[in-house]
Amino acid sequence: MGKLPKWLLGVAAAVYLFLHAPLLVLVAFSFNDSKFSAGWEGFTLRWYERLLERDDLVHSLWVSVEVGVISTLISTLLGTMLALGIARHRFSGRTFLESLLYVPIVTPEIVVGISLLILFVFLKMTLGIGTIVIAHVAFNISFVTVVVRSRLEGMDRNLEEAALILGADEFTTFWKVTVPQLWPGILSGALLAFTMSFDDYVITSLVTGPGSSTLPIVVYSMVRKNVEPSINAISTIILVVTAALIWASDRLSQDKPLTPH
Amino acid sequence: MSQEKARIQLVEALRDGRIERREFLRGALGLGMSVGTIGLVLQACGSEEKPADAPPPAGHEGTGPGPAPAPEPELGPIEADLHIYMWSDYIAEDTIPNFEKEFNVKVTLDTYESNEEMIAKVQTGAAGYDLVCPSGYAVSVLRHLHLVEQLVKKHIPNYANLAPLFLGSVFDPKNEVTVPWQWGVTGVAYRKDLLGKVPDSWALFQDAALKGKLTMMDDMRDNIGAWLRFLGKSVNSVDAADLAAAKAEALKAKPILASYVSAPVKAQLIAGDVFAAQLWNGDTMQAKVEKAEIEFALPKEGSSIWCDSMCIPKGAKNLRAAHEFLNYILRPEVGAKISDFTGYGSPNLPASEKMVNKVAYPTEADMKNLEYNEDLGAGTAAWDQIWTEIKSG
Amino acid sequence: MNPRLWWLRWSSRRPGARAWSLMGPGTAWIVAFFMVPLLFMLAYSFMPKGLYGGVESGFTFEHYVRLFDPLYIKIGVRTLVYSLGCTAICLVFGYPVAYVISRAGEWRNLLVFLVILPFWTSFLVRTFAMIFLMRDTGLINTVLLATGLRTEPLEMMNTPFAVMTGLVYGFLPFMVLPIYSSLEKLDPSLLEAAEVLGARPAARFVRVVLPLSMPGVVAGSLLVFIPALGSYLTSDLLGGAKEMMIGNLVQNQFMVANNWPFGSAASFTVMAMVLAAVFVSLRVRDEPAGEAR
Repeated sequence: MGKLPKWLLGVAAAVYLFLHAPLLVLVAFSFNDSKFSAGWEGFTLRWYERLLERDDLVHSLWVSVEVGVISTLISTLLGTMLALGIARHRFSGRTFLESLLYVPIVTPEIVVGISLLILFVFLKMTLGIGTIVIAHVAFNISFVTVVVRSRLEGMDRNLEEAALILGADEFTTFWKVTVPQLWPGILSGALLAFTMSFDDYVITSLVTGPGSSTLPIVVYSMVRKNVEPSINAISTIILVVTAALIWASDRLSQDKPLTPH
Repeated sequence: MSQEKARIQLVEALRDGRIERREFLRGALGLGMSVGTIGLVLQACGSEEKPADAPPPAGHEGTGPGPAPAPEPELGPIEADLHIYMWSDYIAEDTIPNFEKEFNVKVTLDTYESNEEMIAKVQTGAAGYDLVCPSGYAVSVLRHLHLVEQLVKKHIPNYANLAPLFLGSVFDPKNEVTVPWQWGVTGVAYRKDLLGKVPDSWALFQDAALKGKLTMMDDMRDNIGAWLRFLGKSVNSVDAADLAAAKAEALKAKPILASYVSAPVKAQLIAGDVFAAQLWNGDTMQAKVEKAEIEFALPKEGSSIWCDSMCIPKGAKNLRAAHEFLNYILRPEVGAKISDFTGYGSPNLPASEKMVNKVAYPTEADMKNLEYNEDLGAGTAAWDQIWTEIKSG
Repeated sequence: MNPRLWWLRWSSRRPGARAWSLMGPGTAWIVAFFMVPLLFMLAYSFMPKGLYGGVESGFTFEHYVRLFDPLYIKIGVRTLVYSLGCTAICLVFGYPVAYVISRAGEWRNLLVFLVILPFWTSFLVRTFAMIFLMRDTGLINTVLLATGLRTEPLEMMNTPFAVMTGLVYGFLPFMVLPIYSSLEKLDPSLLEAAEVLGARPAARFVRVVLPLSMPGVVAGSLLVFIPALGSYLTSDLLGGAKEMMIGNLVQNQFMVANNWPFGSAASFTVMAMVLAAVFVSLRVRDEPAGEAR
C-alpha cells in the first residue's frame, strides 16, 4: 500500500480535531464546579454524584439503549436483505423501489412523527417503547440499505462465483463468502442505525408514552431549561462506556478474520 | 343549570355539529319553556362529549324546575399509578418522591417542551396521562376539543388555598377543570453591571448602541406581543393594521438583536455575552442564583402575564390519584417548595407567603399593564404569517 | 427433502420470488409504517385546515398555491443554498478522511470508530459544546484574546458561519462512512497495475479511485444534502434563529400555527423535488453501469 501524502494526513487530522474538540470541552466541563459552565471554577465530581439522584436520566438511558438495540437489530436485518435483493436481482420497478427507499430519508422528521402518531391512534396502539421501535425501524431501514448497497455495488463477485464453481451451495457461499465481504458495510449500517436511534428527538417525542422517555427527550428538556453539567457527566459516561464496548467487540472480532485484509 | 349556560352549550354544540338542526329547534323551544328540558336534550345529544362524571352543579342547586342536578360523583379508592406529563424542571425535586411515599402511588413523570406537543398527544386519547400542565390558552384549546375532565372538587379540599386573583380566569371561568400551578410575567432580564441602566421600555431592543448584546424570545406570542404593547395595543390583537405595525417595530429591532432565543439565554446572561434579554421572571430568578448582577424589569408599556394550570385529560385512568396529587400540591409547604424551585409565583396564597424567595402578587395597578395571552383562534393564521415574515425578513 | 435444497430449487424456478423474499419484510415495514401514514398526510395537504390542528373535510389547492408567495420562495432558496454548501464542504473534507481511513490498515476500525464517536452524545449537547467554543466569551475567543492574536472577540456565534459549521459537524459522518465503505473494497491491485503502467498519483486517483468510489460519493452526498434540507435546530441554536429554513417553517406550521395541511404541503413539495433528484441520479448512475456489465 502506497504512502499517503502529508497534506492528506493533515486534512484528516484537522477534521478529527474538529469532530472531537466539542467532546473534549464537554468532558472537561463535566468536572467544572459551576452550574452554568460559564468559566472554569475548579474541579468537582458533584455532577457525577447528582446523576445518582437523577433517576429519570438513568432510566431514560436504559430506555434509549433498549430501543436502540432492538431497532438496530431489526433494521439491520431487514435493510441488508433489501440491499441484497435490490443489488442482486433484476426486476421491473427496481428504480422505483429504490426511490421509495429514499422517501424515509427525505421526509422531514416532524412529518414522520405526526403521521405515525395519527396511524398509531388509528390502530389504537398504546404509545410506548413498542411504538418508538416501530418508528425508528421505519426510518432506519433505508439508511442501512443505502450503506450496505454502496458496499455491494461493484463488490468483487469473482469470489462468489469461484465458490459456486468449486461446489459450494448458495447458502454456504452466502455465509462463507458474501457475508464476510459485506461485513464492514453491515457493521457501518448498524452503527449508523443505532446512532440515529440513540440521538432521535423529534420523532420519538411524538410517539413516546408514559414512562418511556428516551435520553434525548430528557436531555432536550434539561438543555432548554437549564444547562446543567450533569448532562456533560452522563455524556462523558456514555462516551467512555461506548468506547470500551466497541474496543472489546473489536478485540473479539479480531480472533476470527471477518474481513479479508 | 342556568339558562345562560344552556344557551352557550347549545350554540357550541350546534357549531361543533354535535346536534342536528331539528334538535336545536327543540332545544331553542325548550329555552322558552323549561330549563330542565334543555338539560335533558343537551345531555342526550352531547353525551359523548360530556365527562363520565357530570360537572359539579356550580351553585345552582335546586333552582328551577326539572330533575335535580347530578350529585358530584364519588371517585373510587386511590390507584397504584399516576402518569404526569408536564413542562420540564417545573416541579421541586422532592415533591414526587414525598407524594409516592405518603400515598403509596408509583408516579411517572414525562416532560414536554411545547403546549402543541402535549395537545397532539392528548388528542390521540392513547397517551395514557392522568395530569397535564397547559398554559392558559392551551386550556382553552383542550376545552374546545373536549379533552379535559371536570374536577371533583370535594376531593380537592385545598382548592380553597388558591388566591382569587388566579381563579375565574378567561380559560376556566367557573374553575371546573384547572388547578392553577405557577404564574409569571414576561419582561426584561438584564445585567445591571453591563447594561448600565434600568430598562424601562421595549424600545431598549431597538438601541443600536447595544447591537449584538440583546436577545428577544423565539416565541411568536411573546415577541410580537411585546411590540404590540409598545404600540399601546393588546397582546391579543388580531387586527391587520396592529400586526403590520408590530412587524415594522420587530424588524427595526432584528438587526440589533444577537438572536431570537428563549430559556437557554440564561447561560449567555450569566456569561455576559448578552446584556439584556426578553425573558420570564422565574427563569431570570434561576439565572440570578448563579450571577447576582442579573435583575428583572417590566417595561412601562406593559407585558403579558400567564398562569399554567394542572388539568386532567380526557380518558385518564387514575382519577383518584390525580385528585389526591392536586390536593397534595395545594398544601402550603409543598406549593412553596415548588415555587422556590421554579423561581415563579405561586397562585396558592398560603404557599406564596411561605416561600423563601417571595414573588409578590401583581397589584391592581400592575394588572392594568398586564394581559393574559388568550387563544387567538382563527387569528393564529395572521400571527403566523407576520412571524414568518419577521423571522425570514 | 433438505429444506435448503427445496427452497433453492423452488426459488430458482421463480426468479421474482427470491428477490421478494429478501425485500418483502423490509418493504412491508416501510410501506406500513411510512408510506401509509404519509398518504394520510398527503391527503391532509389538500384539505382545509382545522382550527386546532388536523383538517376539515373538503378539497383545496390553496396550500400549494400559497407556497408560491415570494416569502416562502425566499425561505426555500436560502435552505437550498445552505444545504448545497454543506454538502460541498462535507465532500471536500469527508473524502480525504475516508481515503485516509481506507488506507490505514490495522488502524481502520479505530479511525471509523472515531468518526462515529461524537454522535453517541446527544446532538443538543454537542451543539451546546460548540456554542461554548464559539461564543464571544467562549474558549476560542478567550485563547485569541489571551495570546494577543486579536484585541476584539471574533464574532462567530449567530452568523452564517456558525450555522454552516454546525451543519457540517452534524452531517460529516454521513459523507465519510459511505465513501469509506466503497473505497475500502477497492482492489489495491488495480492501483498497483496503474502504477506499474506509469500513471502518476493524481492520474491514478482521477482515473481509478474516484470513478470506483462514485457510488459512495453519490450516497454520501444524498445522505448529507437531504437531512440538511430539513434541518432546523442548527439555524435556531447557532444562527440565532434569525434566518428561517424550510425545516423551521414546517415545524412552525405543525407546532405553532396549527396549520397541518400547509405544513404537509410544504413538506411534500420539498420531498417531491428531492425524490425527483434522487430518481434522476439513480437513472444516470444505472445506465452507464448497465452498459459496462
